[in-house]
Amino acid sequence: MINDLFNIMLPQICMGVFILINLLSAMFISPKHYGYARLISLTGISLSIVLLSTVQTEPQYFGFRNSVMSDSYTLLFSFVILTCGFFIALLTKNLLFKIKQNAFTFQALLLTAILGAINVVSANDFLTLFVSIEMLSFPTYFLIASAKGYHSKEAAFKYLITSAVSTGVFLFGVSYLYGITSTLNFMTIYKFVSDNDISLLYSFACVMTITGLISKLAIFPFANWVIDVYKGCESSVLAFLSTIPALALFGIVCRLFVFPLSSSFELVFATALFAIITAFWANTYAIREKNVKAIFACSSASNTAYMLLVASLVSVYNLSTVIFYLICYVILNITVFGFLNMTECNNIGNNLEDFSGLFKYNHGLTVAYAIAILGLAGLPITSGFVAKIYLFTAIANSGLIFVPFLLILLLLMVFALFYYLKLILPLFETNQPDDNKLVLKTVYSQKVVVLICTLITIIVGIYPEILIRLCKFIAYNI
Amino acid sequence: MEMLISIPILILIPMLASFLIMSPMFTNNEISVRRFTKSICSIHLLYSVLLLIMFNPEHPYISKISFFGFDWIESLGVQFIFKLDSISMILTLLTSFIFLLAAISSKIHIRKNPKFYYSMLLLLMSAVLGIFTANDMFVFFMFWELEIVPAYFLIGGNFSLEWTSEAKKSAVKFVLFTFFGSMIMLLGILLLHYYNYFSTQILSASFDSISAGGLPFAIQLFISICFIIGFGVKLPIIPLHSWLPDAHTNAPTPVSMVLSGILLKTGAYGILRFNYQMMHDAFILIAPILVVFALINIIYTAFVAFAQTDIKRIVAYSSISNMGLILLGLCAFNKLGLNASVFHMVAHALITSGLFMICGIIYVRCKTRDINSLGGIATKMPNLFGFATLIILASVGIPLFAPFISEILTIISAMFSEMGMITKAVSILSLPLLVLSSCYMLKFLHCAFMGDQQDKFSKINDISVHEFIVLGAILVWLVVLGIFPSILLGVI
Repeated sequence: MINDLFNIMLPQICMGVFILINLLSAMFISPKHYGYARLISLTGISLSIVLLSTVQTEPQYFGFRNSVMSDSYTLLFSFVILTCGFFIALLTKNLLFKIKQNAFTFQALLLTAILGAINVVSANDFLTLFVSIEMLSFPTYFLIASAKGYHSKEAAFKYLITSAVSTGVFLFGVSYLYGITSTLNFMTIYKFVSDNDISLLYSFACVMTITGLISKLAIFPFANWVIDVYKGCESSVLAFLSTIPALALFGIVCRLFVFPLSSSFELVFATALFAIITAFWANTYAIREKNVKAIFACSSASNTAYMLLVASLVSVYNLSTVIFYLICYVILNITVFGFLNMTECNNIGNNLEDFSGLFKYNHGLTVAYAIAILGLAGLPITSGFVAKIYLFTAIANSGLIFVPFLLILLLLMVFALFYYLKLILPLFETNQPDDNKLVLKTVYSQKVVVLICTLITIIVGIYPEILIRLCKFIAYNI
Repeated sequence: MEMLISIPILILIPMLASFLIMSPMFTNNEISVRRFTKSICSIHLLYSVLLLIMFNPEHPYISKISFFGFDWIESLGVQFIFKLDSISMILTLLTSFIFLLAAISSKIHIRKNPKFYYSMLLLLMSAVLGIFTANDMFVFFMFWELEIVPAYFLIGGNFSLEWTSEAKKSAVKFVLFTFFGSMIMLLGILLLHYYNYFSTQILSASFDSISAGGLPFAIQLFISICFIIGFGVKLPIIPLHSWLPDAHTNAPTPVSMVLSGILLKTGAYGILRFNYQMMHDAFILIAPILVVFALINIIYTAFVAFAQTDIKRIVAYSSISNMGLILLGLCAFNKLGLNASVFHMVAHALITSGLFMICGIIYVRCKTRDINSLGGIATKMPNLFGFATLIILASVGIPLFAPFISEILTIISAMFSEMGMITKAVSILSLPLLVLSSCYMLKFLHCAFMGDQQDKFSKINDISVHEFIVLGAILVWLVVLGIFPSILLGVI
């Protein structure tokens, strides 16, 4: 046990220590010094990133009686989650100013959620997975509710209800899996499945389990929460909500697809169907939407749907494309919400027309925002373009049966481009009265986040080979 | 000298210039930005001519870029390969030339945001050059998508006096149509890439290594239909054409010149490269059907053009009609047809940019494009009238001008085509129908220029020097190509 702690758990322990520091500070430090909360979080996350180097990955390491595992796959996901967490913590300055009283608690919750996300990725049995998912989603309710006003409370409550229902569905599926295989461990389930013929009941259990998991990604049966929740959230919390749960849950869903649940055709079919329905719903819904955050909610839902479709067509090659797409997607999303964070600081509303004419006084920032949106739409020379092509090769390679799916997705991309254009259009309006109100006042940290993410987007767009190789390496070593 | 020959330089010159103009350090002065753009375009034209002088059709130029020893996306076998064979060479020269003319003629049209306008123009130029020279499907597709962004801003942006809020709508329409086409095309590319790998076990997307012959015929047919739809949006083939008149009418004049002069040609070029050269088995089956579409293009748009009252719309519809002719030449599927198509691409690019230029000049002077309120400006603008008469006569296919050669050659090639009776029938049918083009073109000439002089146009001036240069250059090339067609016909 002690060995396990030192071999694979050091980053998690470090996170835990800094959560405690934040909680203690909440008690002993006056709210006047709210700025320290962010500093503590940033230190904790960067220390954890450093400590990732101590994690043992080769060969696969199973700790705590096989309930936690560690390999290059979990290491990559932990790294990406922590990096995103670092960017998100950088973006929280404005929110902390508004909620001075609870600044330290807020940061402690953020760190807890990130810790939960890392644990989700490294889980090796369904019990650990369940606990980790709750660890991820429980702080999320409070993060969503942290902003002032009625809407954030409503959003938090909606998220709470959907999460509770989906957790129920997940546990229902897991209980059936346990009934069939009499174990909760992934490896043992995999062994059981490969030794015995699988029944329809097993497929049913798998579908239930996966449905419960993907509801937090806003996939069809539980997708409706996404728009209201996004509308009610602060942008820095949105940067969290659209990246960290997606990373954590894709990390575990891809792993579940690759080994324990791989042999069920019904699961593949059901997931692909859910993904297509979500993509269709999200892309058509966003066309008439006027609220920027709601449009990004639809964009997140459709992007995760594309990835889920590919992840469900199980193969190692597909896995590498999903990881690549996921990394590009979170970077793009952080850029977008970093920009929205700046506009929020300047009391610019969330409607499309509120953004008109921003280009005139903020060339660099609006161009970065436009590049991120073009990346989400999949236009060159951004990482989104390469990611789109790489993801879709996976569907094309899966056989002729999936060509209709591919066709539907490609046509939906046209819908998507339409609403992405709606976002970009107002920025370049020129018939605005000349006033300096539109000059965005920004903080250093926001600019840094947007700049770094835009640079990554463009560099990966021009030269994606290294990242693709990394993703392939990870996928083939799972 | 050998060191200088590099196709990436061809693409990078305008792209880097575009980024330079966009950078905050660059001046916002309209005159200096325009002069800079003009000089970049001239340098580019000189460089293209340099490439042409050293060009040997037997050995096309091939350049390859790799980053740190890696290809672009090695996992998909995608390489940054560019190839300049005779067709690409001709279209590259044409692109340089038309963009130079567009940059020169921007002088009187562009009033606002010059920095943004010129940088987008140069970005569009580099994207188009990328399309014409790429030798890898995914690189081709990348430039195809890259073209969307600058084209969108050029059509919809508020740059000129002509701008109305309609322009934004037509820009969105253009982007959605093009993106729809390119998504269908992407489906074709992905399938072709995968099945090529499946049948040859070579992971590559370059045009040279794709051999569609090994594919099952049904799949080949499906992929070719995807490509036809994808390029048919740009060409445009009739049911997919409705973006074109709006976009061309609402765009600033130099952008209209570029759009119909160069961007439509990318569709024809795509059909040529993908369907004609790579998927020729399926193309033999599709060509007789496409020929019917080409005929519809020629007839239908001629009638529609006759009914228009906006002079820019007349020219826009005449473009669709002419693109039908290019499609007919490709579908004839013989060497003469290919030659005639490429020749007509060049001839039509010259004609249509000249005509849009004339429309722009009239609009700037008279503040209207309505054919009913124009009239009688010939006495006030004798030079413009002379140019307009000559270019319009060229466009209806009078001998001594380039379109005469290409139209006749296209019809002859279709007549001697071995693609079945439909092609021959269409060639015979389209011969009298070409007369229709003279109907609407002469209507344009008659209604706009002739008639009694009107009081409201009593103060307008004739064309200025730079307009004279642009129209003169177009006319010179129309005549030169009309008298010595072998300049172009020999090389393909």
